[in-house]
Amino acid sequence: VATPLAAQAQDEGNDDLKALLYPLNYFDVGVRNVPTDSPKFGEYNGLNESGTYLLGNFDVRGGDSYGQHDGTTRWQVTGNDLGTTSRNLRASLADQGQWIFGIGYDQLRHYTTDGSYQTPFQGSMGGNLFTLSPTFGVINTTTANSGGVLTSNSRGTQTLTATQLAAFHTEDVYSERQNTSASAGYNFNREWSIKLNFNRLDQSGAKLIGSGTDAYDLRDTGGFNYGGERIAILMNPTEFKNDTITLALNWVGKKGYASANYFGSMLHDDYSGVTWSNPYVSGGNGAAAVPPTGTSPGAAFPLGTMSTPPSNQFHQLNLTGGYIFSAATKLTGGLSYGRNTQNASYDGTYTTVPNTAQLLPVNSLDGLVVMTHADVKLTHQATSALNFTAGLKYNERDNRTASNTYTFLDLGGDALTVVNIPMSNKRSQFDVGGDYRIGSSQRLHLGYEYDHISRWCNNALANNAQGELSATNAGYYTVASCVQVPKNTENRLVATYKLKVGETVNFNAGYTYGRRTATVNSSFYNPMQANDEGFENFGYVAFFDASRKENLFKAGVSWQATDKFTLGINGRYAKDDYGSTLGVQDGDVSSANLDASYSYSENASFAVYASWQRRTRNLFTASGRDAVALRTTLWSNDLTDQDNTVGVSGKQKGFMHGKLELAEDFNYSLSSTKYSTTLVQNINSAVGNSGTTPTISSKLAQLKFTGTYQFSKASSMLAGYMYQRLRSNDYFYNAYLLGFTPTSLLPTNQQAPNYSVNTVFVAYRYTFL
Amino acid sequence: DLDGAAQERLSKDAVCTKCHDESETKPILAIYQTPHGVTGDGRTPNCQSCHGESANHLAGDVGGKGRPAPDIVFGSKHTPAGYLPTDPQAQTEVCLGCHKANLRMHWPGSQHQTNDVACANCHTVHSPTDPMLVKVLQPAVCFGCHQEQRAQTKQISTHPLDAGKMACSDCHNPHGSAGPKLLAKNTVNETCWTCHAEKRGPFLWEHQPVNEDCTNCHTPHGSNITPLLKSRPPFLCDECHDGPHNSQAPYGNAVAGIQGGGALMGSSPNSNAVGRSCMNCHVMIHGSNSPAGAFLHR
Repeated sequence: VATPLAAQAQDEGNDDLKALLYPLNYFDVGVRNVPTDSPKFGEYNGLNESGTYLLGNFDVRGGDSYGQHDGTTRWQVTGNDLGTTSRNLRASLADQGQWIFGIGYDQLRHYTTDGSYQTPFQGSMGGNLFTLSPTFGVINTTTANSGGVLTSNSRGTQTLTATQLAAFHTEDVYSERQNTSASAGYNFNREWSIKLNFNRLDQSGAKLIGSGTDAYDLRDTGGFNYGGERIAILMNPTEFKNDTITLALNWVGKKGYASANYFGSMLHDDYSGVTWSNPYVSGGNGAAAVPPTGTSPGAAFPLGTMSTPPSNQFHQLNLTGGYIFSAATKLTGGLSYGRNTQNASYDGTYTTVPNTAQLLPVNSLDGLVVMTHADVKLTHQATSALNFTAGLKYNERDNRTASNTYTFLDLGGDALTVVNIPMSNKRSQFDVGGDYRIGSSQRLHLGYEYDHISRWCNNALANNAQGELSATNAGYYTVASCVQVPKNTENRLVATYKLKVGETVNFNAGYTYGRRTATVNSSFYNPMQANDEGFENFGYVAFFDASRKENLFKAGVSWQATDKFTLGINGRYAKDDYGSTLGVQDGDVSSANLDASYSYSENASFAVYASWQRRTRNLFTASGRDAVALRTTLWSNDLTDQDNTVGVSGKQKGFMHGKLELAEDFNYSLSSTKYSTTLVQNINSAVGNSGTTPTISSKLAQLKFTGTYQFSKASSMLAGYMYQRLRSNDYFYNAYLLGFTPTSLLPTNQQAPNYSVNTVFVAYRYTFL
Repeated sequence: DLDGAAQERLSKDAVCTKCHDESETKPILAIYQTPHGVTGDGRTPNCQSCHGESANHLAGDVGGKGRPAPDIVFGSKHTPAGYLPTDPQAQTEVCLGCHKANLRMHWPGSQHQTNDVACANCHTVHSPTDPMLVKVLQPAVCFGCHQEQRAQTKQISTHPLDAGKMACSDCHNPHGSAGPKLLAKNTVNETCWTCHAEKRGPFLWEHQPVNEDCTNCHTPHGSNITPLLKSRPPFLCDECHDGPHNSQAPYGNAVAGIQGGGALMGSSPNSNAVGRSCMNCHVMIHGSNSPAGAFLHR
């Protein structure tokens, strides 16, 4: 019997062997300095504010199974980024082959603004009530004649008074996730095992959201009426808790394997709605005169309320498994049944206005969506050169929620009666493929894929509520016509060829042709649109279910010139052509990528990469139900999106008698997006305009240097420098700037994110076996 | 204190480790720090369990042609010793001998299997730390082949992969799955709802493309349009809507406000066109649970 290596490792001077057999534990303690505030730089890394951060990481492992001992227990405790809001802690204990237990905590604070968001509202981030000081006064969005009675339809200057400007204050907006998890597993024997995973997501903070409120409307000259739309940007609270549980019973036999598991996800939203003051009107009634601009309203500002995501649950049972008929023939498959329920009260989700509260058909949705899934896949190796695969998939989303009629005052003051439309769909997919090896250097893959989607609604009320249908009164002919495209069918052909040239070069090329057809209900009436605007224009189909032809080409080559140098180049081009008269007409996606790596010595290597990606989309649209036939207002809108990325990284070790190691990493990304609108026919200039948007651009450079100097076996010093620079330009923010905001939009003074941040860190690392 | 089985395993290992010792550039012996090196576990393999008995390799240089390769050479590149990797399917069969169930259940016929990806292309079995099993290290392994996704994670709007707070396997099962694009769940939406359950509903007022596929509007790996959008409203919305009120207007450069050179409705920019555009008012774009929210205003 050979002497176990562990015994040799104990010998004097055999430290190298010992280091291979026993885990290397470490503690890092140090500081990182960030000289600049930038929530965008700190979007995910927790380094959003200038100052000095504690740097703390550790990884400690142990157990009697290391070093070739006869035990089977192992434990590990790790922590990373402990001094930031991006910290992570984990611990696990296992008796390998018997049981395992683990716990974890992970914090992630996601900054969603660059610290430039300003608001006049009183109310803290994470709350759901945002009010204005009574002294804020009404924003000038109306023009009144003598007596302060509305007589014109001017929307006013919206000039903010000094008092109103003084009310603006800056808020850092972030949404924080804290995940606390526990897991456990037990092996009953070599065939049966059970595993439990639990995670609690505790989310807090807020994300910005738009909000529409009502304003004065000339339809009720001289007084207050719901009408028009006014917009404020709010801190929408993200105060959720989501408990996720997975319990799995697994079986593994010689020929087969199976797993039965339960997945549960229970989301609780601490709020049902968010409420805010309307700064554009004062309280009042139909007889009230318009208050002079900047004066305090005669009564409290009218409040607006909108819903937040409702608490909901998802419970799913899954059964998956496989059977090995022979080394050549294998079968896998699965079944899933899930119930997604939601019954949150409507209370607090809307502002009480005439025709809403009094006429609620129910006080909560009592929603139920049943999700079912089935899949089966057979693989067979007919000969050493020929393989076949065939698969079936079925997914159904059956929304069994009841339909009811809801009457309410919408923005703009319309009293509306609308039926909720619970939408369902099912998708059936089939694919078959074959791989044939031609000698030892060539391989051909041919495949066929079929994809069918059906959509319908279980809404008898809506189906019967449309009255007698005609060309001028479209609606729900059948339960399948509550959507514009009740059916999609797609057929795809796939071909791939691979060639090995000698021992070092691999080439591959592929082509895919797909054709999707849509069954269109041309008189579909979209119930989600205003009553007099529910028809899509003739010839218009939404891109995601429109008829489409797709051609995709891809090719690549990799070359391992030596064991030190590798080079790879690949590219892809996909072209989509849609069959709609209106809507998305066509689009393409192109990309080219290069990767190379070189190990120029046993202790040093570097790698480079470059990626180019380009995407276009051409849209043709119209103004008017029958615009194409009448050749009225037609225009195109073309998207061009391009992304260029390069990177270089390197590692060197062995400096200063093997005590110093260095690593470098540089990435640069340049992205640009622009839209061009061209008027094609008979445009009414009062309706809109043409032109090209300013380019939305972002340039991100990231540079990292890290070094490790080893003083002794146990002690080393880590030091690093990181530089990040973002230059972005986005017209999105123009609208929210003070002085440039459009009528009826409350400014936030947000800026496109731009930063240059240099950070350095230094840390002491203590290592031990 | 080792039992007979463990002694036998170590004896078989010793046949290899007498040459492949601590002097190797690659940390061969570090496998004893991994689950494959727990001597006390009766399931633990020896070197020959994975690499084969390799009699020719052990016989050495016969006939001056150099030492033949072991029976199974893992990986995708030829080794510093000049050995070519074994056929990917043969490599994988060795691993599946023990690891065929659970996450690997859908491996046969999966995208990676049919494209000749072997386990050792991604997993580093001998290393004390397999990068594929460490959240902060895993994306770099995947990006070795998936360069488009690597580039997208450098854009201005991304998931926190670069920050090491997410791994590719949080959404994908690279071993194969019943979902599209090797997603861990049965559908795109089920996968997204794992972390974004507040978008799950069901809502009183639904939005069809949201019900069907989050990627109708979002591109998950990265975008130049925050938050992970495929396009900027109102143009994104116009890809599905041209019937209702303001999507009947060609906004052109008016979406950029006065500074962008465009304006609607006389001299002032239009709040339906600029900034969030449609979503200045239709804010409940993922669905609304308010009785007054039929048009996703509330």
